[in-house]
Amino acid sequence: MMPSRKMVPLMVAGGVVTVIMGFIVAVLLISWFSNPPFGLGNAPSQPIAFPHTVHVAENNIQCEFCHRNVTKGEAATVPAVETCLFCHKDIDGGTVAAQEEINKVRTAFDTDTPIDWARVHRLPDHVRFIHEAHIRYFTDETIGVKYGINGEELSESPDVAQTCTICHGDVANKEVVQPKTGQSLKMGTCVDCHRVNSIPTDCTVCHK
Amino acid sequence: MKLTRRNFLAWAGLGAVGAVACEGFGIREGELDIQSPVSLPEDLVRGTDNWYASLCRTCPSCEGIVIRVMEGRAKMVQGNPFYPTNRGKIHARCQGGLQALYHPDRITTPMRRSGPRGSGEFTSINWEPNGIDTLRNALRANGSSSVMITEPLRGHMALLADRFATAIGGERLGFEAIDNNTYRAAVKNVFNQDSLPDFDLEHSKFILSFGADFLSTWVSPTRFGRGYGEFRQGHGRDRGMFYQIDSRFSMTAANADKWLPVRPGWEGHLALSLAQVIVSENLQDDRVDIDALVGGDTGRQTLNTFRPEIVAPLAGLTPAMTGGDPVAFLKSLARSFAASQPSIAIGGGSAGAQSNGLFNLEAIYALNYLVGTAGKKGGVRFNPPSPWADVPSSSTAGSLEDWTRITEQIRRGQTKLLMLHGADPVHGLPDSLQLRDAIAQADDLLVVSFSPFLDDTSALADLILPDRVSMEDWGDDISEPGPGYQAVGLQQPVVNPLSELDPLSFPDVLLTMAQELGKEADLPWANFKLMLREGSDALFNLNRGSIEATTADEFWNGLLRRGGWWDEFRNGPTTVRPAEGLLKTIADNASEPSFAGIRVGSDDSLYLVPFAHNTLLDGYNGHLPWLQAAPDPLSTVTWQTWVELSDATADHLGVKEGDILRIQSSKDSIRAIAYPSPAVPPDTISIPFGQGRKHGSDYATDRNGSESSNVMDILETTTVKGTGSLAWAGTRVRVTKTGESVSISKLEGNVRAEEIGILPTEDIIKTIAPENT
Repeated sequence: MMPSRKMVPLMVAGGVVTVIMGFIVAVLLISWFSNPPFGLGNAPSQPIAFPHTVHVAENNIQCEFCHRNVTKGEAATVPAVETCLFCHKDIDGGTVAAQEEINKVRTAFDTDTPIDWARVHRLPDHVRFIHEAHIRYFTDETIGVKYGINGEELSESPDVAQTCTICHGDVANKEVVQPKTGQSLKMGTCVDCHRVNSIPTDCTVCHK
Repeated sequence: MKLTRRNFLAWAGLGAVGAVACEGFGIREGELDIQSPVSLPEDLVRGTDNWYASLCRTCPSCEGIVIRVMEGRAKMVQGNPFYPTNRGKIHARCQGGLQALYHPDRITTPMRRSGPRGSGEFTSINWEPNGIDTLRNALRANGSSSVMITEPLRGHMALLADRFATAIGGERLGFEAIDNNTYRAAVKNVFNQDSLPDFDLEHSKFILSFGADFLSTWVSPTRFGRGYGEFRQGHGRDRGMFYQIDSRFSMTAANADKWLPVRPGWEGHLALSLAQVIVSENLQDDRVDIDALVGGDTGRQTLNTFRPEIVAPLAGLTPAMTGGDPVAFLKSLARSFAASQPSIAIGGGSAGAQSNGLFNLEAIYALNYLVGTAGKKGGVRFNPPSPWADVPSSSTAGSLEDWTRITEQIRRGQTKLLMLHGADPVHGLPDSLQLRDAIAQADDLLVVSFSPFLDDTSALADLILPDRVSMEDWGDDISEPGPGYQAVGLQQPVVNPLSELDPLSFPDVLLTMAQELGKEADLPWANFKLMLREGSDALFNLNRGSIEATTADEFWNGLLRRGGWWDEFRNGPTTVRPAEGLLKTIADNASEPSFAGIRVGSDDSLYLVPFAHNTLLDGYNGHLPWLQAAPDPLSTVTWQTWVELSDATADHLGVKEGDILRIQSSKDSIRAIAYPSPAVPPDTISIPFGQGRKHGSDYATDRNGSESSNVMDILETTTVKGTGSLAWAGTRVRVTKTGESVSISKLEGNVRAEEIGILPTEDIIKTIAPENT
C-alpha cells in the first residue's frame, strides 16, 4: 500500500530524525565504550609542540626522566622547564619549526614563566590514582601472571615504559599525545583490571 | 503551540536559565591546565639510587660509610651500619668528603711549574709523556736521595708506599701536624702495645679524661661518641660519671659532669696524686699486685711526693674551681674513681703536647692498672695485630726532630727529590722551622706533589700529578683504634672523575713507576686494585670472620658489599702485665712542663693552648666549604680564626668580642679575633689550628689576616721529651690590641652566657641579653 501523500513528508522527517538520533546514540555509545569519534575526544592543543616521537622513540629518553615522580608518588608530574634545558641549553633542533618550539622553552626559562600544558588524561577529583603503585605492581618480577587493562595476559613483567603503555598507549610514537586509541578509561575499566589481577576493589582503594 | 508574547518570554527565560546552568556545570577555564614550574623542584628525584660501602678519608680515624650514587653522581654520605667502629654514625667531616669530589678548585690536569718556585704559576701538561717521564727520570736519577711525605698510612697503601720508598732507596715519612707519637709511645711504655687501644666507654661507670677532646677531634671521636651515648643513656645501666681535667673548655669538657681547668702541663702530676691516694688508702682493685706495680716501699715513698697537698697548688687548683678544698676534692675524686668499677682513665691532646707530655700520659694510663681495667670490660680495650702479616695496622708519623732533619737535608742539598701526598708540612709545621724557605731555595731539588688540591706545600712543587679523590679510587684501612678485634675496611671507587678532570690514582702511579724502574720483585702488582684483591684472597683463605663465602670471588663481593671484613672472635689481649715498679719508674721520670716564648712570670705572659678545629682538624680539610661553615660546637664561630680568652683577661686588656688581637711569641705574631668567654682559665688563651692557608682553594685562603691565621706560625719548637714530637701546647704568648675590630661570624647571636649566683644553689650558667649585661 502506497502511503498517502500526507504521510510522505512525515516519513521523511521521521527517517531523518531516526538517522540523526541513531547517529547521536552511536556517537554516545562509541564515546562511552571507546574514544569519542570524529576528533571530539582529541587532546587540546598544547602551548609548545612537544614531539614524544623525537624524545622517546628516537632518543630513547626514559619516561621517568621527565615525569620524575611517576615511580615515586601519586602524580606523574610534568617536567620543570629547567629539565628541558638540561639538553636544550645546547641542542637546537633539526628543523626551523623545531627551533622555534625550543626557543619557546628557552624564553619561558629566561623570563621565569611557567608553561601551562593542557592535560590530556584526567580522572575525576574523587578518584585517587597512584602511578607509583601501578608501576610497582606491573614491574614486580616476583609476581606471577599479570593481566593488562583489557584482561589480556602479559607474557612477562613489563618495564616502566611498557607499563605506561598499558593505559596511555604508544605515546613514544605519537607526534601529539592522544588518549589510547579505542580504550575506555572508566571506573569499570579500573574495576575489571583490579579483579582480574586479584587486587582489592574496595571503594576506598580508589575513591577518596 | 502558538507563538504568543507570553510563550516567547517564557521560552526565552527558560533558555537563559539553561544557558547559565550549562555554563555553570561546564569545565572552568584552566581546569585542564597542568603547569610546568620553571625551576626543578628539589624534592623531585628520578631513578634508582645505589648505595656503595666505602671509607671516609676526611679524618685519620677512617670511618665506614655508605655513599648514595644516582646517575653516576655521588650525592650523599651516611654511616655504614655494619662497620664495627662507627656503626652507622659519622662525623660531620665525612659529609664534607663529597665536596672534594665536585670541588671547583680541583687540579684538573698534571702541571709543571712555570714561574719562580712558590709563585703558584703552573702550566698544564700531559701525563704522557711529560708528567710520567719527568717523574721516572727523577726517580732513576735521585731515587736514593728522595723523601716521600704522605699522610699517616695504614693497610696496603702503607705497605705499598714503604716498599716503594725502600725499593728506590729513599725514605717515607707520615706527616700529621698534631701527631699521636707521644700517645703511641705512652701506650707502648705502659701497656706494651703497638697499636692504639679502644676505650670501652659503653660499659664504664667512671670516665676520667685528661686533655683528650675525645668527643670532638681526638683520635676517633665518632666511635667514642657512640660509646659515650651508651655510657650516659644505655639501657639497663646507670648514668656514668665523667670528669674532664683539661686546660681548655672543649666540647668534651662541656659534656663532663665536672670540668677541672688544670694548669697546662700538670696533668701527669695530678694523675700520680690520684694514684698516691688510691695506693695509700689501699683502694686499688683486689687483683692488682700493688707492690709490684708501685715498686715496693721505695716506690710508695716516691709516690708520696705527689700527695694532693703538694700537687694541688702546683696544678693551679683553687677552691673556686673545685667547689671547696682542692686537696679534699682530689682525694674524693680518687676514691670515686677507684670505687666506681669499672672505671677508665684517658689522656691525650694538650696533656701530651707538653715538654713533659710523655710523662703525663704514662702517669694517666697507669691509673688503669690500679683500678684493674686494663684490657677488661669497661676499661682500655687492646687491639690485635693486623690479619695480614706484612700489612701495617698502625700508622707512623714523623716527629718534629724528623722534620728538622728533613729540612736540614733539603737545605744542604742532600734530598734531591721530594714527593708529597696528602701532607702539607709547610702549613702544618711551626714556621720557625723554615721548611718553606728551605724548599724554595733548594736548587737541586725536584718537588713532586700528588695532591688533587693546591696547598702551601704543593704551591712550591715543580711538578703536580693530581691524584684521584677517595670516592674515585681504591683503598683499604685497618681502623686505628680498632674495635678490640680484627677489622679491615675497604674503599672502592663509587664514581668516575668528571669529564673535565684528568687525575691518576697515586698508588697506580707508584706501581707503574715500580714496573718501569725494574722493581717488580718488590711490587709485582699491575695496579692497586689487584694488590687489594690479593689481600682479599688472603683473608678468604683465613676461613673466618664476618664474610661467609665459598669462593674467593664471592668473598671479594662480600667485602665490597659490607665495606670491610672483621672477626669478632680475634680479640686483642685481655691481660697485660705492667712492668715491675711501673708507677715508680714513671714517678722517677716526672718533670715539670717547660714553656718557651714570652717569659713566664711577666705580667702579660699567657699559656697558649691551641686545639684541633672541630671539622678542619689541623687544616687538612680547610678547602672544603661545608667544613669551613660548620660552626665550632662551643663558640659557633665559622670560617675565621678566633682566640678564646677569659672575661678577666678581656677586661684587663679592655677587649670586647670582635676586637682583633695580636698574639705574639718569641718567634712571630699572628692576628686573631677576640672571643671572650667565662669558660676560659684566666691565664690561658686558646686558638684553633687549621686556618691561615696561603695557597690553594679560595675557601681556604680568600680571607685577610684578620680573619684567618695559622697558629703554627707562632709556636715555639719545644719538643716532647722521649718522643721528639712538637710540644704544641708549650708556648707562652703575649696578647695586645690592634685597635681594629670586625664582626665575628658566629651563630650564637648577641646573647652570651654568664655565670651568675653566689650561693651553691644559684651556681648556674644563664644566658643574658646584651641590655642586661
